[in-house]
Amino acid sequence: MTTDKEIVELATFYVGDGLCGMNILKVQEINKLMQMTKVPQAPDYVLGILNLRGQIVTIIDLGKKLGLGETDITSDPRNIIVNSAGGHVGLLVRQISDVVSADMSKLEQAPANMSGIQGEYFTGVYKTKQNLIGILDVDRVLRIDD
Amino acid sequence: MQIEDDEILQGFIEESLEHLADIENDLLAIEEAGANIDEDLVNKVFRAAHSIKGGAGFMGLTTIQELSHAMENILGMIRSKKLVPTPENINVLLLGADQLQRMVEDVQSSNDVDITEHLIPLNAIAAGNPPPAAAAETPAKRSAEPKQKPVPEPEPESEPEPEPEAEEAEFEDDHEPVPAVLKKSSNAESFSPSPPSALADDGVKPQQKVESTIRVHVSLLDQLMNLAGELVLSRNQLLQTIGSEDFRNAEGVGQRIDLITSELQEAIMLTRMQPIGNVFSKFPRVVRDLSSKLKKNIDLTIVGKDVELDRTIIEAINDPLTHLVRNSVDHGIETPAERKRLGKDATGLVILKAYHEAGQVVIEISDDGKGLDGDVLAASAVNKGLLTAEQAQIMSDKEKVNLIFLPGFSTAKEVTDVSGRGVGMDVVKTNLDQLGGNVDIISEVGHGTTISIKLPLTLAIIPCQIIMMGGERYAIPQVNLEELLRIPAGQVKERVERVGNAEVVRLRGNLLPLIRLADVIGVPRTFWDDSERTLKEDRREMISDRRGLTTPSFRTAQQEEKVSETPKGTGGERKNADRRTSPASALNIVVVSTGAMKYGLIVDRLQDSEEIVIKPLGRHLQQCKGYAGATIMGDGRIALILDVANLARMARLTSVTGTDRAHEVAVAQEEARRAQKDKQALLVFRNAEIEQFAVPLNQVERIEKIKRSDIEDLGGKRVMQYRDGSLSLICVDDVASVHPLADNDDLLVIVFKIASRLIGLLAIGPIDAIEIATEIDGVTLRQTGIMGSVIIGKHTTMLVNVFEIVQTLYPEWFEGKDVFEITEGSESPAPTILIAEDSNFFRNQVKGYMTEAGYNVIEGEDGQIAWDLLQQNADLVSMVVTDIEMPNMNGFQLTEIIRKDPRFSQMPIVALTTLAGEEDVAKGKAVGIDEYHIKLDKERLMTCVHDYMKRLH
Repeated sequence: MTTDKEIVELATFYVGDGLCGMNILKVQEINKLMQMTKVPQAPDYVLGILNLRGQIVTIIDLGKKLGLGETDITSDPRNIIVNSAGGHVGLLVRQISDVVSADMSKLEQAPANMSGIQGEYFTGVYKTKQNLIGILDVDRVLRIDD
Repeated sequence: MQIEDDEILQGFIEESLEHLADIENDLLAIEEAGANIDEDLVNKVFRAAHSIKGGAGFMGLTTIQELSHAMENILGMIRSKKLVPTPENINVLLLGADQLQRMVEDVQSSNDVDITEHLIPLNAIAAGNPPPAAAAETPAKRSAEPKQKPVPEPEPESEPEPEPEAEEAEFEDDHEPVPAVLKKSSNAESFSPSPPSALADDGVKPQQKVESTIRVHVSLLDQLMNLAGELVLSRNQLLQTIGSEDFRNAEGVGQRIDLITSELQEAIMLTRMQPIGNVFSKFPRVVRDLSSKLKKNIDLTIVGKDVELDRTIIEAINDPLTHLVRNSVDHGIETPAERKRLGKDATGLVILKAYHEAGQVVIEISDDGKGLDGDVLAASAVNKGLLTAEQAQIMSDKEKVNLIFLPGFSTAKEVTDVSGRGVGMDVVKTNLDQLGGNVDIISEVGHGTTISIKLPLTLAIIPCQIIMMGGERYAIPQVNLEELLRIPAGQVKERVERVGNAEVVRLRGNLLPLIRLADVIGVPRTFWDDSERTLKEDRREMISDRRGLTTPSFRTAQQEEKVSETPKGTGGERKNADRRTSPASALNIVVVSTGAMKYGLIVDRLQDSEEIVIKPLGRHLQQCKGYAGATIMGDGRIALILDVANLARMARLTSVTGTDRAHEVAVAQEEARRAQKDKQALLVFRNAEIEQFAVPLNQVERIEKIKRSDIEDLGGKRVMQYRDGSLSLICVDDVASVHPLADNDDLLVIVFKIASRLIGLLAIGPIDAIEIATEIDGVTLRQTGIMGSVIIGKHTTMLVNVFEIVQTLYPEWFEGKDVFEITEGSESPAPTILIAEDSNFFRNQVKGYMTEAGYNVIEGEDGQIAWDLLQQNADLVSMVVTDIEMPNMNGFQLTEIIRKDPRFSQMPIVALTTLAGEEDVAKGKAVGIDEYHIKLDKERLMTCVHDYMKRLH
């Protein structure tokens, strides 16, 4: 905040083919616990609930939530545990990628659609040398709108 | 001034200070927003002022109450947009808040403080007269001004902590520095001589968030210390064991840690749980004070003081509960005059009740007052502009009643300082939402209102029954559990029936609606194949095949069904019938109850009962109403906790339809059975392999499995150790000439209670509980100890008269308990008892008991005959003993007709039944039956008859 640059560390990951990122400070941990209990009647994007050291964590299939179809459980996916308003929530992603230092002042407006994901779920897009990272609006993703 | 309860006062002070701390900033924000009112914010301040007012009123702090009331008036006007918050107005409010804070901090002398200088401007604003100086200027101009123009006296901008010495004359007492935040407030002098003060308290009294503390008994702390010490020791042992690579000790250490952990957990839980009585205990006073103020007579009943809740919840429900109780007293209960006019007791009743349900705590506040009129509420909401007339029109009654939860909604015609302006209900809702609870209102106009609050029991440990469904485990709180039922494959067909589209199971004469868990929560139906130990998909359409058309009562319904059924159904039926022979088709049913309703939940498998810790589900799963939470099982996996009340709702099995349907069927069945014989539940057993015996099932207390070596032969009597005492053992062959007890090593002891002592009847298996409807032959095989015989499953079975056996073997048990003597001493002739019973066997049995006891007996074969006999012998008969199910006129009808005749209004009527279902008992009580007794339970029947006769003579 003191300089022009707002450097934020981004945790990046793949949802479908799209590379997404979020502020790493929002991430509590990343794990590959897959021993989930299904919850009948839950919204379809809720994969199940997980015991995270005594806490019940709802696991959301990010791919499904963002409209990209189910994430393949057998392909070694990861849970990103984030702390959101209602407690801990796990986001199931296809693959974890690098941590990227990003200058948030260089954030560009998100397109209406990015790799098939609705633009409303992004706060913006960050360009690196190699690729584009969609900055995920975690609160928007986790909002309950149905 | 006297303040009786120091703890309550302390609570009030802490709470008020917290409110005041927020008020300041909120007021400033309101000022900033100006005419652009942020309703939530105004509501918040309003509620804070209201809470302080309420608390102060309760504590008898009249000055604080008066001031906060005046402030609340203004905030109410701002909220209803009658007043635009100008800096002047806000400043008056801020000053009021300061004064409140000072008074709250020094509560003891608060009543002596002069607050007129606050009240005058406050009341002036409320009356529509802005502060004098402000009248000259336009609000817009004034609100712009203060930015450049600091409060003249203390110059707070330059000096953060000035001592406002200059104002000493005008100011009241303790001077506290003016906080910098107040610089925005406009010319203080324009309406009030005092500068704002004591707002942020600038470190003299720092904004200390009251530290949350808890009182724990020292002995509990000691226990915790002790356990912690033990845990450390065990850990050391464990480390040693691991280090030494000698694991022989490991098991012992593991056990020790296991034990200590559970104890530690228990002790820690104890520190958090508090009885709800802590909150409830203040209400008698609240109700008393309020009712005397309102000139009402109100009784308060408190139920369930011992229900324990986590202390955080206890604390948080304090406010909402207070509001609700006040509302009941103020708005709910009518004045004594009004109540008399309505034909009610002049004294109103408020009931405060706490209990556990589905792993949650339910708190109910009910009153027998005027109730909430949904239409009036809706009309009022429309008037206030909270709702459009069209919206109101399409609302259901329940929704209308729930309107009182809208902010700004008031039900009282006049604002009182008791429960205020409808502020209560929206506060209640907000607070309870925060706790994860919910509120429900059931109200009947003219009869009262019940508000029930459902609170989660976070951190609470509850015992649960674990069940399996579709490969996942679920927990059902034991409080909801009535019993577990397994219907063997062979019986499914006859016990599970279909009424309309509901499936029911016959359980001891009552019909129980059934719900399949799989269907309700929407998972594929499965069943557990024990032989293959796998889950299989279940493709059956129905649990039961339709019964044949033999039962007359179902004929119509079934024919209709038949029509609607597709032809494919017939093929499936055959297949189902085949499958039912395999044990996998047995039904596992968890009989659960929730409030008034009872139903059976069909599950795949039943597992153990476990103590579990309830954990809440995340917000994405809040929409799944079928679960009360989740729990972590021993293996680390999660099991969902079922909310049986909501499951019933999801299956559209409301208490009304559930019981109605069951009732319909029960009536139909009763009619169908009317012409048939009574059913008798019997326990079948053997003494020798070749002879089958039976005893009435309802006489049996328990059945125990023992080894022959457990039997001790002492003093010529057989006894065994049983529950810290000796249980006398008898055999059928002790008295009756039947084959001797088989020489088995494994024996059964059927425990009976006779002459208020326990006695065990030795027997061998196989045992079975069956219901028979055939006539009992009371002649052919009658002998001492055998009351008759009946054919069960192609075997002639002897009915054992345990009473007679005991009487023969232990005559001394009945000495001094001789209930039959009554008639001998008295001069009047022996009383006459009328017996109405259609079965020869039972009639003869009962007649036998009666004549043996010295009574005269008149017998009628059905209700009609009995009634005729009664009329003929009106002067003679002093008691009626009747069967329930009889042709022509049943026991209920007989009782009804007897009760209608004024001659017999006091006649004792005892009903005899084979199966005393709860519904029957209730129905019987309603028509005037005095007591219910089980057929063949000679002892109880005779004691009862004797009691009645004693009273008559």
